[in-house]
Amino acid sequence: MVEQLPEWAALAPALTLAFTGLALLLVDTIRPEARSNTSMAVTSALGALASLGFTVWFVVAGTGHADTGGAIYLFADAIKVDTMALFFTAIFASVTALVVVAAHDYFHDHESPAEFYSLVMFAATGMSLLAVANSLAIVFVALEMASLPSYALVAFLKRDRGSVEAGLKYFLVGAVSSAIFVFGISLVYAATGSLILGDVAEGIANLDGLTGVAGLGIVMMIGGVAFKTASVPFHFWAPEAYEGAPAPVSAFLSSASKAAGFVVAFRVFTEAFPVGASLSAGIDWVLAFGILAVVTMTLGNFAAVVQPNVKRMLAYSSVGHAGYALIGLAALSAGSAGNSSVMGAAMAHLLVYGFMNTGAFLFVAMAERWGVGRTFEDYAGLAKRAPIACTAMAVFMFSLAGLPPFAGFFSKYFLFMGAIDNGFVWLAAIGAINSVISLYYYSRVVKAMFLDDPSTPTALDTLDVKPTALYAAVVFAAVGTVLLLPGFGPVIETAEAAASALF
Amino acid sequence: MVPPEWYLLLSAAIFCIGLFGVLTRRDALYFLMSVELMMNAANINLVAFALYYGDLTGQVFALFVIALAAAEVAIGIGIILVLYRNFGETDVTVPREMRW
Repeated sequence: MVEQLPEWAALAPALTLAFTGLALLLVDTIRPEARSNTSMAVTSALGALASLGFTVWFVVAGTGHADTGGAIYLFADAIKVDTMALFFTAIFASVTALVVVAAHDYFHDHESPAEFYSLVMFAATGMSLLAVANSLAIVFVALEMASLPSYALVAFLKRDRGSVEAGLKYFLVGAVSSAIFVFGISLVYAATGSLILGDVAEGIANLDGLTGVAGLGIVMMIGGVAFKTASVPFHFWAPEAYEGAPAPVSAFLSSASKAAGFVVAFRVFTEAFPVGASLSAGIDWVLAFGILAVVTMTLGNFAAVVQPNVKRMLAYSSVGHAGYALIGLAALSAGSAGNSSVMGAAMAHLLVYGFMNTGAFLFVAMAERWGVGRTFEDYAGLAKRAPIACTAMAVFMFSLAGLPPFAGFFSKYFLFMGAIDNGFVWLAAIGAINSVISLYYYSRVVKAMFLDDPSTPTALDTLDVKPTALYAAVVFAAVGTVLLLPGFGPVIETAEAAASALF
Repeated sequence: MVPPEWYLLLSAAIFCIGLFGVLTRRDALYFLMSVELMMNAANINLVAFALYYGDLTGQVFALFVIALAAAEVAIGIGIILVLYRNFGETDVTVPREMRW
């Protein structure tokens, strides 16, 4: 028998991220004269990769899996490390690694890049804590830990009016929604008398007379989740924040932060408010998520169609994808065997989305670095000057649209099939219609890059700048998106196994 | 002992006052104060029901919420400061670089 690691070692991915962030701040404080953008970026990328390594190792070794003794509980049940937590931590760590590598070129002339890298690391720590939270108190603390650095990151270019405005709007919506979320938690505590998810579930099963209080609390908690995942009704910060923020930050928020919102939604709503007990108490949150999913994906896709600006189009497309992932919660039914496959498919979709969406935003970052404009017309003819990057962008676009040979197709297919198997044909149908609409605006980018001619012959001369690290990040994201094609089998199996542990 | 429903009414009233302030005030600093009211409404619930159920979890969580609210105000003041430097005002309706 090999010696067992101590139980706290299950938190290694989160600890690695946290200590990397602290180390960056410490070195920057005690040796400000030795400040170097490159070493900071390399350190944070290594930290994120180490965290990813730990996660993959734990998943392969079966940490927290039912076969190896079940989930690991720490700190009086407040933290629970299981396969779902590791799965999502892998998403956060990979997105973080891509973003810090890309940021090396994006912030090449910024005076204090250390703040950027440590803020990204702290936000990623908060997200990986969200993934393991098993108590509503930890949920709220981790949610704020992920949100507060994000506000600062969006407003990071403090002399850029767009960035500051985006930061302000993100902060305003975020502060209100977290206040609503914590009030919801307090109402749930009032109705059930506990903050540990499992005990809350017992309280929900025998509410005697406090159904109204618990129901209102649950509705308010849906509001908090909607903010973090950029879903209706708290979606309107997303286009502003993603457009105004530095593009690597937009990539980070729209992929990692959204996945963080979903992991907390999946865990809280399946473990604290089980479908069956909630329905018999008269609290139909499944229907609420169904309505939100439909409105979110329809609104996101229709708004994306009319955008002239690529970054803003991607922002609305990310709202649309939040709608697809919400199907993972909206297509649940009490005691159904198909629950784990639909939620597993939503988790797999978030992983694929993490790569393809990060890559797409990083391509926008590269276009900003080159100095070409932000509209579809400005991208005209780009493929002649930068064929590799544009091919990568085409892969992201087709994968986001869900065209058959790409990973985005498989995750959407499993998601919609799961919804149909669980008896939610209408959700799958609306999702499929929305995917068709999305093909229009995604293919506009590809058409501009490959088929159109630049408006002026000199328009693309600024492409002589060679942002190597950004290039590498975009290509890695594309390789990840393509490799998820043969690797999709293990991914969906892990995701379904992780989801089945929740029911 | 005061019946627990009264605490619920009090906290709901304070939460609504805060929400009203968020929706009507245009100055970012008033906005921060209103959000603070909403969070403290949650604290009232947590502390009152910790007493009602006789367990400390709610009280400890209320301390967490107070600390997090302070952290949030710190970030908020920072963003309002750069807002003032860039736009010369703390009115949240002034920045219109991007259309809604």
